[in-house]
Amino acid sequence: MSIEVTLTVNGVERSATVEPRRTLADFLREELGLTGTHLGCEHGVCGSCTVLIDGASARSCLMLAVQAAGAEVTTIEGLSDGEEMGVLQAACRDSHAFQCGYCTPGFLMTATELLSESPHPTEAEVREAISGNLCRCTGYESIVGAILLAAERGV
Amino acid sequence: MSVAPAARFTGQSVKRVEDDRILRGRGRYVDDIRLPGMVHAVFLRSTIAHGRLLSVDIEQARSLPGVVAVVTGAELAELTNPMQLGPETPPSIIRAVFRPLATDRVRYVGDPIALIVAESRYVAEDARELIAVEYDVLDAVASIEQAEDPTRPILFDDIGSNLLYSETMQFGDPDAAFVGARVVRETFSPQRVTHVPIECRGGVADHHPGTGELVYHAATQAPHALRLLLSGVLGQPAEMFRVVTPDVGGAFGQKAGASREDVAVCAASKLVGRPVKWVEDRVENMTSSSHARSEIVEIAAAVDDDGSILALDVNMKLDLGAYPLLPFPPSFLGGIVRTMIPGPYRIEHLRWQHSAFATNKASYGTYRGPWAVESLVREVLIDDIARELGLDAVEVRRRNLVRTDEQPRKMATGPTLEGVLALQTLERAVELADAEGFREEQRRAREQGRLLGLGFATYIEPAPGPPDFLDSVGMHLGGERAVARLEIDGHLTVITAQAPHGQSHETTIAQVTATEFGVPLEHVRVVHGDTQLTPFSVIGTGGSRAATMASGAALHATRMVKQKVLEMAANMLEISPDDLEILDAVVTPKGDPERGVPLAQIAMAAYFMTPEGEDDGLRSTAVYDQPRGGWSGGTHACIVEVDAQTGVVKIRRYIVVEDCGDLINPAVVNGQIRGGVAQGIGIALLENALYDEDANFLAGTFMDYLVPTAMEIPAIEIEHLHGEPLAEVNYRGVGEGGTIAAPPTVVNAVADALGGARINVLPMTPESVLDLIDAASGAA
Repeated sequence: MSIEVTLTVNGVERSATVEPRRTLADFLREELGLTGTHLGCEHGVCGSCTVLIDGASARSCLMLAVQAAGAEVTTIEGLSDGEEMGVLQAACRDSHAFQCGYCTPGFLMTATELLSESPHPTEAEVREAISGNLCRCTGYESIVGAILLAAERGV
Repeated sequence: MSVAPAARFTGQSVKRVEDDRILRGRGRYVDDIRLPGMVHAVFLRSTIAHGRLLSVDIEQARSLPGVVAVVTGAELAELTNPMQLGPETPPSIIRAVFRPLATDRVRYVGDPIALIVAESRYVAEDARELIAVEYDVLDAVASIEQAEDPTRPILFDDIGSNLLYSETMQFGDPDAAFVGARVVRETFSPQRVTHVPIECRGGVADHHPGTGELVYHAATQAPHALRLLLSGVLGQPAEMFRVVTPDVGGAFGQKAGASREDVAVCAASKLVGRPVKWVEDRVENMTSSSHARSEIVEIAAAVDDDGSILALDVNMKLDLGAYPLLPFPPSFLGGIVRTMIPGPYRIEHLRWQHSAFATNKASYGTYRGPWAVESLVREVLIDDIARELGLDAVEVRRRNLVRTDEQPRKMATGPTLEGVLALQTLERAVELADAEGFREEQRRAREQGRLLGLGFATYIEPAPGPPDFLDSVGMHLGGERAVARLEIDGHLTVITAQAPHGQSHETTIAQVTATEFGVPLEHVRVVHGDTQLTPFSVIGTGGSRAATMASGAALHATRMVKQKVLEMAANMLEISPDDLEILDAVVTPKGDPERGVPLAQIAMAAYFMTPEGEDDGLRSTAVYDQPRGGWSGGTHACIVEVDAQTGVVKIRRYIVVEDCGDLINPAVVNGQIRGGVAQGIGIALLENALYDEDANFLAGTFMDYLVPTAMEIPAIEIEHLHGEPLAEVNYRGVGEGGTIAAPPTVVNAVADALGGARINVLPMTPESVLDLIDAASGAA
């Protein structure tokens, strides 16, 4: 059995016919070719697959594509304005926030949610907000710094 | 017109080349590769630790729609050669012979039994559920103790024992040194841990049935080693086999070798004639990729009353798991631990025993600072010594560290210490931690029932180490190569043997070479990770070698191209090449910028009127070997607060004072240090790749295996010290020191907080800390 799923991804309406069991992550990556969203654990802990569903962060590995039907989904590919990096992305570049880049999409989406809800977070709030995302390369300090820098510059 | 000075990109935290793609979601990791006709593979793995494989019934799985192939161990054995250490392995080292998929025996929970290839991963996983396996369960060898027990089963019958390697060595005269000396001893058994790159292992094997070429797109840190090893097992000639690395999402040593899964996936592509993708899931990664540490180390130090360490007596037992991870012989780890154990200290005499065993667990895989246990046991023992003698641990370190005025000086185990600032880093760390002020704060806190502690650890890191380092370990790697080529538009391509997976080499090597060549940073492209293009290196990226070796090779290759460019320009301008320089991509007579010739013009000439004897683009290859020195190192200091009610350890301050020479890119260097420390803190407090007494694996998910988050890792204060350069290329690696030094630093801080507890087991979980508090109050 397959179902047609239509949703809006990064402002563009997209649809594809998939099995009901298809995860949102696989749908984004395989059906839509948006491979910026990464899978790190497929059990909802590492946060690499985080996307925004109607503005709220969600683990796309724990969600089925059919559950996102009709939703507005934002992925890392949606954070830039054309070739111009978004404020958060530029702050990450300027802060040397990341190393291998694999956890990166999840952190960027989690931080996007944080900064939209709380434009001027404290360091403790930033750490709390990203505590559901695992990075194995950086020790987090550079990521925390980048988010604070983005807040300072104003997202 | 004023002349701009040659741009110097080194020493600056220039923005990373890599970030342009990874921050936009445009990285290309192995799971992002989609080839025409590609199919997906999953492994069926053993659910038991040890047993005879009686039957594997694949009929139902094979007939499921969408399944392309189901390959059993027996079938794969027909298609491949046996796996074993290379023929160059000395006869004293036992060589287990094994197959990519289990044929008649399973040897750990996760041992691959069959490979299922299907049109989608979903279907492949469905088919896996339909395979029935029958085992005859054998007793498991779940620990080193059991591996030593002759009544337990043997993993590899033909070897006749679970002992894979042993050595006994002596340096200096430890017997004499121990006579009449005071002895402080401890037995350490740190836990088993695993690397946890956020990207799991994976590869896409693409065998072209027409040409016979096999291209393996692999998440690896050592593409040439992977090709070499797989080539032999697959019977695939090297010239028909290319390993290409896309972006790699971390490795930390786990992606350094050739795995049995790699063999199976490549063989499957040859079998089905289509590209085959395998990307393991996290449970598979935790269960079956590789684990590290979990050495048992008995260490005794002969000491004087003033705290001088006269000699060490060390017996290290190593749990290698079930299958050797090629290309690492079972002697590999012992060699580095043995060589490194004196560290930066004046330890003249060493008695060394080492044995390595096969057990029913996942393979041992070299992990960031593979020799780290030597720093753990030495640095914690130094604190034990201080307490036994009633001395300050800093004073004991100070008394034993080799001063710079004593260098160069041979370590008892062989390598030459030169340019090591260990003592200076200790003194500075003591200052930064305000050790004196802290003792007062600690005393006051104690009066309020609060437990504060301060710990130090001093270490060195062969990054890459002096020329006699690898001789002492018993390894031979040779120099590192790089190629530089002028492109037809005047830009520069630098081809490195490194295979970066987060280390920012596309940026740092460009910084070094653009500065040397005299061009803007964006005129340099660093190419890596393709065996068809890159110079051979058995290591790729690992062993903290890139900063010195890759930078050195790239610098010299670029310099060779530059010299040729200057000679061509000198002919055009009819002046001496010595009077020319390259400024901002213009070849310029010194002091006469008006007569400059754009590099692009020389480049065009280099292609259309190639000087005799020169290659395309004045292509030049350089080999770099570390001439002297080669040590990074330093001292870490940590202040913790232990909650006496919950046993939770909170890190209040973490300080790193270290010397890695000149910094190519300070932000990159500090990122390596902080990331390394974070992993070391994880080892100290959280991580545990635990097996039960029947060798069932208990840590297959991130709910069981705790990786540090932003809540556990504090801000890490870093200060860099600089000594006199010993070589022109004065950049040294810094990848491993954090992970090496953090565990003993945190242990020493917690022990100090607990009033001098002896801590010899990791991780220091809240439960274990409460036990220590209880034991101390019971003893009091």
